Amino acid sequence: MASIALNDVRKFFGHHPVLHGISLEIRDGEFVILVGPSGCGKSTLLRMLAGLEDVSEGEISIGGRVVNDMAPKERDIAMVFQNYALYPHMTVADNMAFSLRLAGAPKAQKQAAVARAAEILDLSHLLDRFPRELSGGQRQRVAMGRAIVRDPAVFLFDEPLSNLDAKLRVAMRTEIKALHQRLKTTMVYVTHDQIEAMTMADRIVVMNGGRVEQVGRPLDLYDKPANLFVAAFIGSPAMNLLHGEAVAAPGGTAFRAKGGGLLPLPADRGVQPGTPLVYGVRPEHIELAASAACDTEAQIAVVEPTGSETQVFMTLGSDSLVGVFRERVADEPGSTLRLRIDPARVHLFEPSTGARIDAAAASTSPIREAVLA
Amino acid sequence: MTDTTLTLRAPPAPRRRRPGFVAMLYLYASLFIVAAIVLVPLLTTAVGGFKTLGDLRVNPFGLPETWQWSNYWDILSGARYWQMLGNSLLIASMTVVLTVAVAAMAAFALAHVRFFGSAFLMNYFLVGLMFPIATAILPLFIRIRDLGLLDTYLGVVLPQVAFGLGMAILLFRNFFRNVPKELFEAALVDGGGYIRFFWFVTLPLSRPILATVAIVAFVNSWNNYIMPLIMLNSQDKYPWPLGIMIYQGEFSTDWQLVLAFITLTILPTVIVFFAAQKHIVAGLTAGAVKG
Repeated sequence: MASIALNDVRKFFGHHPVLHGISLEIRDGEFVILVGPSGCGKSTLLRMLAGLEDVSEGEISIGGRVVNDMAPKERDIAMVFQNYALYPHMTVADNMAFSLRLAGAPKAQKQAAVARAAEILDLSHLLDRFPRELSGGQRQRVAMGRAIVRDPAVFLFDEPLSNLDAKLRVAMRTEIKALHQRLKTTMVYVTHDQIEAMTMADRIVVMNGGRVEQVGRPLDLYDKPANLFVAAFIGSPAMNLLHGEAVAAPGGTAFRAKGGGLLPLPADRGVQPGTPLVYGVRPEHIELAASAACDTEAQIAVVEPTGSETQVFMTLGSDSLVGVFRERVADEPGSTLRLRIDPARVHLFEPSTGARIDAAAASTSPIREAVLA
Repeated sequence: MTDTTLTLRAPPAPRRRRPGFVAMLYLYASLFIVAAIVLVPLLTTAVGGFKTLGDLRVNPFGLPETWQWSNYWDILSGARYWQMLGNSLLIASMTVVLTVAVAAMAAFALAHVRFFGSAFLMNYFLVGLMFPIATAILPLFIRIRDLGLLDTYLGVVLPQVAFGLGMAILLFRNFFRNVPKELFEAALVDGGGYIRFFWFVTLPLSRPILATVAIVAFVNSWNNYIMPLIMLNSQDKYPWPLGIMIYQGEFSTDWQLVLAFITLTILPTVIVFFAAQKHIVAGLTAGAVKG
């Protein structure tokens, strides 16, 4: 059990900077997920935590000890690799006991540790098999078992589920989360899959281009993305982002998209007419409206029913818009849908910096009627 | 209904075309020629060993007039043959152990450790591949003499190891480089370093290439003629290839005994090759370790 502190950690490959000063506190027992697109530096950061990459600048401490110059084995960590990295010539039991064997642990201790890990992961019947005789999910569990046997202060996971098929991935997701709840050990997990991050993490660190874009609890990131990158990255299907500007409308201001659509603005953001904006609304926050009270009208392009919900691709002027509805949409492509958007669930961003425009102190009632006029 | 099932059926797998008569003829003829090139000298040698010297002179390729089993029996029942076998085995074993140990460690360093001059060092070893033993024999002799190793087993073994290293390092390095990097990182996290990774992970995974290098080193040592000829003086240290010299007199040579002796010395190598054929081919064509 240990907390982790990163203090202005930088990494250069040659002269090329990959991490531009990352500072982060991870509490004892917390499950933190680093998420971001390929090449954002999340795996490099994890490997620096593990001691597999040098720290160019800054300081990493685990459990209060600065570990910059420590070998991986001195850091009291265990790592699960993307391709499992099981030793092909050793049985499952030998794979799991390898770290104890290197440490010169007595046989009884090795057996006890392996038996305990095997029981946690339901591997007891596979201990004599070789990795090549196991399925992908079983190999993944052995890789986790190898980590558990070490009883480390910190678990590190490097995209452990990306080699599994979709169904198994969902099952393993639950297993890893259950494992964390059982062991209550600090875990740092890297993935590019935001669904994995949302479902498993206590806190998510969204990274992009070697920088931290936002740190927060999954639902905080979803509800209040700090900038355009996080807004676009978190959530599936992705948030609709429309460029345009605030315009004066009867009863307040509204948003005029570049494509021509007119949408309701939350009144509490204090946006003056003429201000350029990026308007964000999640597909699941667009609702079908009864004829009387609609905010805007859009043309259907493609309808994709999934059973539980219907995903509709629409055009609003010359912009495209995605909506996810609980109702079944029977209309043909080309026909018009009436939509309602709750202004309280609208996200506004500065086009130049991408920063979120938050609610000003004052708040007023929605201006939906005005926009429609 | 029948139609549907018919259309759903997968298209028939393309039939492998049997080569035509001419192609088969060509194939068999060329295989026969290659086989003959290998087999005729072997058989001539083996059969020649059963002849008398006179018979051999008159009829070198045919079957012997009378089968002289005593030629083989005299060699087999004499102590010298077995002593030379022991010498050959000792020299070959020492060569194999040293070549494998040194080459594996060197190749591991060249494959996994980045250090200044590693590429240069690798190329330096590779240049050794192009260097025939015979051209170096004089300076080699002087050096071995200066080291005081003349007429010792080591005097033969050390140069053999040195000349075998280039090929062995090349084979090992290419194999080691295909061991996934994550395995090393996993071992690092598990508490190992380079040496333990080498010992506990790399070596057990490298059995095919270990076998290949060992067999190549063994056969080279087994067949080496010039090195023991130059380095060894006393007959009780002679390996097998030098055995034939005993039958070469100043004025006449007992060719039938030479042939019988050669046959008996080749035999174990042929047997070992057939036994280990699978490993040799696998090692030479091996590309990757499956993780």
